[in-house]
Amino acid sequence: MSADTFDIQAVSPMKEGPAERKGNAVANVERSEFVLEVNNFSVDYGVGENMVRAVNDVTLHLRRSKVLGVAGESGSGKSTLVYAMTRLLRAPGVISGGSVTLNFTSRDDEKEFTTLNLVTASEKELRKIRWSHVSIVLQSALSALNPVLRVGREFDEVLKTHRPDMSKAQRRARAVELLTMVGLNDDRLARYPHELSGGQRQRIMIALALALDPDLVIMDEPTTALDVVTQREIISELHDLRSRFGFALIFITHDLSLLVELADEIVVMYAGEIVERAGASELYEAPRHPYTLGLLNSFPPLHGPRRELSGIPGSPPDLSDLPAGCNFYPRCPFAMSRCENEAPALTAIENSDRSVACWLHSSDSSVPVPVELSRTVNPARNPVTTLKERP
Amino acid sequence: MKVLRLPKSPKVLLGLGILGFFILMTIIGPWLAPYNPSATNFAANLTPSAHHWLGTTSLGQDIYSQLLVGARATMVVALLAGLVATILSVTIGVAAGYLGGLSDDGLSLLSNVFLAIPGLPLLIVIDSYLPVNSRSNTFVIGLIISLTGWAWGARVLRAQTMSLRNRDFVEAARIIGEKRHRIMFSEIAPNLLPVLASSFLFTVLYAIGAYVTLAYIGLTSTAVWNWGTMLYWAQANNAPLSNEWYWFVPPGICIALVGTGLALVNFGIDEFINPRLRAGGLTSRQRRKLGLPRRVRLGLTPVLRPAKAPRVSTAPAKLVSQ
Amino acid sequence: MSEAVLSPAQLSARHLTRHFTTRVPGRFLTAKRVVRAVDDVSLDLFEGRVTAVVGESGSGKSVLARMLARIVTPTSGELVLEGSPIPVRSKRTLDYAAKVQLVLQDPYASINPVHRIRHSLERPLLIHGANKGEVETLAKAALSRVSLDPPERFVDRYPHELSGGQLQRVSIARALCVKPDVLLADEPISMLDVSVRLGILNLLRGLCDDERLAILYITHDIASARYIADETIVMYAGQIVERSRGTALVDEPTHPYTQLLISSVPDPSDPTSQDPQKREHATFEVANVGCRFAPRCPFAMDVCRTDDPPDFIVGEDHTSHCWLHASEPEAAVEVAPPKRRREGEPTKA
Repeated sequence: MSADTFDIQAVSPMKEGPAERKGNAVANVERSEFVLEVNNFSVDYGVGENMVRAVNDVTLHLRRSKVLGVAGESGSGKSTLVYAMTRLLRAPGVISGGSVTLNFTSRDDEKEFTTLNLVTASEKELRKIRWSHVSIVLQSALSALNPVLRVGREFDEVLKTHRPDMSKAQRRARAVELLTMVGLNDDRLARYPHELSGGQRQRIMIALALALDPDLVIMDEPTTALDVVTQREIISELHDLRSRFGFALIFITHDLSLLVELADEIVVMYAGEIVERAGASELYEAPRHPYTLGLLNSFPPLHGPRRELSGIPGSPPDLSDLPAGCNFYPRCPFAMSRCENEAPALTAIENSDRSVACWLHSSDSSVPVPVELSRTVNPARNPVTTLKERP
Repeated sequence: MKVLRLPKSPKVLLGLGILGFFILMTIIGPWLAPYNPSATNFAANLTPSAHHWLGTTSLGQDIYSQLLVGARATMVVALLAGLVATILSVTIGVAAGYLGGLSDDGLSLLSNVFLAIPGLPLLIVIDSYLPVNSRSNTFVIGLIISLTGWAWGARVLRAQTMSLRNRDFVEAARIIGEKRHRIMFSEIAPNLLPVLASSFLFTVLYAIGAYVTLAYIGLTSTAVWNWGTMLYWAQANNAPLSNEWYWFVPPGICIALVGTGLALVNFGIDEFINPRLRAGGLTSRQRRKLGLPRRVRLGLTPVLRPAKAPRVSTAPAKLVSQ
Repeated sequence: MSEAVLSPAQLSARHLTRHFTTRVPGRFLTAKRVVRAVDDVSLDLFEGRVTAVVGESGSGKSVLARMLARIVTPTSGELVLEGSPIPVRSKRTLDYAAKVQLVLQDPYASINPVHRIRHSLERPLLIHGANKGEVETLAKAALSRVSLDPPERFVDRYPHELSGGQLQRVSIARALCVKPDVLLADEPISMLDVSVRLGILNLLRGLCDDERLAILYITHDIASARYIADETIVMYAGQIVERSRGTALVDEPTHPYTQLLISSVPDPSDPTSQDPQKREHATFEVANVGCRFAPRCPFAMDVCRTDDPPDFIVGEDHTSHCWLHASEPEAAVEVAPPKRRREGEPTKA
């Protein structure tokens, strides 16, 4: 819940942000707080008549070494967002607006920050930052690793491409170092991907992603296909690696309870837009958006009395046929008449660092905020400190 | 089936247009023909003129009429052979793929034998055993051509069936108690329609070639006019040597055009099966207008300038009941 | 300690075992390796009760479901349907299909994409004796039963027009058309969106309560099992390692694997979740001799490496397949007669 985990972005006139955050001229020094700044980013599939907007006007900022969790279900646009951000989205995906700015230190001069807008970058510039400053771990390692190459060869290729000055022995040593870091024996280097278990493959993907010590690592549902015990091991691994290397992490998943443990800040996406943004424990204990509340209530608890829960009625949204007003209106248990025709913008909440896109919380709302969406966080009790606070 | 959208690809439209034209010719050709194609009462070896658009043969027959009337037999035999061969290949291929075991071994042996035996010599042999009067029967000829044309399709369908056999919906059909033959032909076969269609078109192509060849060698009755018989007569009267192009070129072009049409439509089916081959819904002109590159490279997602506003539904949203 | 038997089990499995023989390439010859996918599993399914089987991939739970549905033949063991034993080598009859149905994991793959929903519902109705005239009404009734209302809106659609949750409901409706006594569900919600999962779980629970079906719910997610189960079973490497009435084993896990499973689930409300050991687990390593879990078990003793433990009673209707409980007073009870629900049979060496 600390204020230094994320940036306040005043999108609507309902809240005034700190004056120095407005305006485009930001000093180089201040800019370096953020490793990634995404502003008004939109992505479409197709063009013209049959165009479907998969990501709509998304703004988010990620500070160095922090973990941003992106939660959502099918149609939320979370995967499209990160693939498009790194210009990896395949046809017919098209970026239709906004900017994605990466702030990084070039290798030669640690103090000098360089800024690159990935949307307008050329292929040469993208190649320079890919893998050495931004790397990505995909959901299925089996489809990401070349099945006819031994694992050691994959490491070799990555290191050879980006660090041509390393000798073969140095590359091998680095590969062993990386494997040990993720808890694997170095005999795995001689194996083919299909000879390894899902968990081992995923660890190798993580090792590869960290091979060049990037500033930002993006993970798209990396543990969804793994069993829960392996998932726990890998998440724990991630914490250690982060404390050692200090990379920022964007973690995409549908498993909100996992994000509450892992992330510093969580954005919840629905139908291509951010509907809520808050610190992880805040979001868990005191959600503000009806969708977030519904999502949290969709996880049957492991402890406590057995009650009937209901999830969220209806089906995930059809992006080619979105409602005129709020996208969540058809499924919202607290919907008002205003929601049917006017789409709420993502707005900061007074006296806090969170934002929500919901008319219930607007200052001119005549309806009182429902009890479930106005809980407060008990500052004395902060149970979600276990993994993050560990030395 | 999924709704069949009219294909936008120019290749496919051209192919369909060509085929449509020839099917039209098949239906109304004999009515359009100005003269009886067998009538020999015209002057011989006339070059194309107003009275005889394609001139006359050495026997004084109007070539244009022959072409129009001949379309019918050629196309009918080809389509019939294609149809029968496809039915055979579905039955044998799907059964072999689904049943597995000894049935598969037996049926595969059968198709392999028919694949290995060269088609044309087999046709010639079978044809030479036919009584002379049935050589004029287009149906019989169509049937024997289909006998030599089913085996390849059967192999393809067998492979496809084997990959579908383990799909969940097939297992679900078994679980509810569906009988085997219904699973094969009511559940699996409809999923093979694109492959089937492609196989059918290829077989029709093969059948035209086979029929024309048989006619050219003189193994079919000359009483029935078809393009192959025209070529037979042209060859027999040394038309190529005496530069009477108007005799053998038109039927040749027609055969080639039908083949081209079939191949073009086949491209369309490929694109239908594999959506990635489609142009992504954009013509190259549209792409240029939007500033998109002609080919989208991997790792370089295109960026649109300027940004467009999203389309919003005007239908009233309905609340889902709790 | 035992409860009176409520009614005979609808479907019982007795010592079901399924082995697969694979060939492993060696230096000169291929060696044969036996994979024991399911090993000596016994369970009972009662009407009006949900039995949950929890296990990771490789635990044998899916093979177990398929053996119960009789689309996979067991290597040994027997099935008892409504009191009559079924010879394992015999063919699956239409009568069995009418009583025992299976719902599969992937809703997009388990319904034929080229036919309308109507077709997928009509087939089971017609096969099991409905008249052509009443088929339409029955199909619509089935859709209503799974809350796809109004049924007219769904009956003429194609599968690709429906969402995953709706398709899974169609899949359940299809199974219900047969009017089974037993419904087996193999991971019915793992491929669905999170917000839709509870709806399906509530539906299954409702079917169990209202229609008195015997339901087997297979999952890897122990929290969802806890939500609807009347009996919970945990499987590891083909064996049942712990089983209890209700969800007692979630609240008080006695087997080290169950404990590991529960502590691994992300649970933000529980600040005491364990930090697992960092070393790489050789997850392929399942012991062939002794307890299967021994290589990974933090409490493994010498006996665990040599002998496979029997099931020990650790609470009321709660057994654990672990040597740690050998010192319990009521350890290693004799083989119980098949119709009683109690467990506690030591495995024969």
